[in-house]
Amino acid sequence: MTWRASCLLACCLSLGQAAQAAGIESGKDPVPSVMWSFYHKQMLGDAPFVFDERVKLLAPPFAEDARQVPVEIDARAFKGEVVRILAWAELNPLPKIVDFEPVSGVLPWLSVRIRVEQATPLRAAVLTRDGLWHVGSTLIDAAGGGCTAPSVVRTQPGWEEHIGEVLGGRYPRGDFSRLRLQVAHPMDNGMVSGIPEFFINHAELRDSNNQVMARLELFPAVSENPNLAFDIEGAGQTRLVLRDNSGNEFDASIP
Amino acid sequence: MRWMLLLFMSLSLPAMADLDYALKPRQIAEDTWLLEGSTDNFATANGGNIVNTAFIVTERGVVVIDTGPSKRYGEAMRRAIAAVTDKPVIEVLLTHHHPDHVLGNQAFTDVPIGALAGTTELLHQQGDAMAQNMYRLVGDWMRGTEVVLPTRTLTAGVQRFGNHDLQLLSLGGHTGADLAILDQKTGVLFAGDLVFYQRALTTPNSPGLSVWLADIATLQALPWTLIVPGHGPVASDPQPFEQMRDYLSWLDQLMRDGAAQGSDMAEMIRSPIPERFAGISLSRYELIRSVSHLYPRYERTQMKRVDSATQQ
Repeated sequence: MTWRASCLLACCLSLGQAAQAAGIESGKDPVPSVMWSFYHKQMLGDAPFVFDERVKLLAPPFAEDARQVPVEIDARAFKGEVVRILAWAELNPLPKIVDFEPVSGVLPWLSVRIRVEQATPLRAAVLTRDGLWHVGSTLIDAAGGGCTAPSVVRTQPGWEEHIGEVLGGRYPRGDFSRLRLQVAHPMDNGMVSGIPEFFINHAELRDSNNQVMARLELFPAVSENPNLAFDIEGAGQTRLVLRDNSGNEFDASIP
Repeated sequence: MRWMLLLFMSLSLPAMADLDYALKPRQIAEDTWLLEGSTDNFATANGGNIVNTAFIVTERGVVVIDTGPSKRYGEAMRRAIAAVTDKPVIEVLLTHHHPDHVLGNQAFTDVPIGALAGTTELLHQQGDAMAQNMYRLVGDWMRGTEVVLPTRTLTAGVQRFGNHDLQLLSLGGHTGADLAILDQKTGVLFAGDLVFYQRALTTPNSPGLSVWLADIATLQALPWTLIVPGHGPVASDPQPFEQMRDYLSWLDQLMRDGAAQGSDMAEMIRSPIPERFAGISLSRYELIRSVSHLYPRYERTQMKRVDSATQQ
């Protein structure tokens, strides 16, 4: 188990870190954060964790458009071991991004676009079968305002008619294929001019036998007209089933 | 209390005195002067002086082309002009609405400020947000800077300023409203930000790279003798056009290919940049920005409706 080696190394670097319940040294936080211990408690319930660069959290160094920041979470180093992936933006007013459960036939990889309110550390915590959280981190700079900017969707006449429309594509990439989806939805986060929360909060990816491939809880840090991409193994039609917090259900099939 | 004030002054005065653009006009053709900025990004070290501005001393007076990134720059430009000629400034021509080209307008409110109608509209919509971001990027250099909208609407055609006939072209590849100016007397082409040279082009308001490529062809076909890019060194050969064409075509193809392969934005911004663009300043930084501005249009062309509403 290579993480033990890296933990040992990290151990030497930061003896000051609090010892975990399981006696695991978490290593040094790779990003400057004032809120890690709070999120460790709130998101991970104070469970054992390591800062782990094998969890790649890839985002641009700065947010050109704070309402649409591309984020890629790559935990393929833990393929077959991943139970859940949680992602959040520490300094967002609504920090949670996604809770992703790759069940079967989906690689532990996800891309999504998010809103950021100010420059912030981003985190992706990957729970492996042994009960340890592996935390990937990055920093993003931003002029800010992404969470409180007026909706672009709502300025388009007739936007209500398009809710739930899904654009999609499947792109073969050697031994897996990339699945990309873009869903028309305002993803109102409740922070803009008296418009209450209205967002897609649940998504499921199913295979041609209707077996669940992945489950996702989505949160209002996800950008309007959400973009999602998955890497899936195997062929056959894939379904995406979506539900928003008003109970609307949407369904898409990608051949 | 008094000694604290003195201490404060002794600390802050040198810092204030440092904020000098030290603009040095360079004559590039008959009656024609250039204020060349660096090809860096906005920073507190350069006060946003990353832009080329210019002025033409006609018999009737001085025509100013773009006013720079701040009130302080506009004022410094005004002094630099006065050091070259006694003639009064008679008109400002703005090439487009981006902050580094128009936020010096405050120093020129005594003369007509001309721009394309689209430029005025865009500056009206985006000016305050752009100015705010400039404060964030370059800091105290911006002190007192406010958006001043153009006062005269320019249209395509030849306009006479004293002994200089200026051909105004209404183009749009960079922002949707881009003015290029060919001085028919000297052959100097003020390309605005339709031409970046040795500095990566920027795309926040571009209607599309194909529009921009068409504009490059239009400009190159003019009877120019010297090209003044919006950013980067002047040139008397067609190299800036060739570099623009090469770079725009590469960017376009990169995003087409990425969309066809289902690449996501976070992957696109990591794309390798060809060796031949190594000399172009800020290419990685601007690739990150351009992917954010333009890639959504490319990716949608490679996706189709897959929701159940379409299948019923």
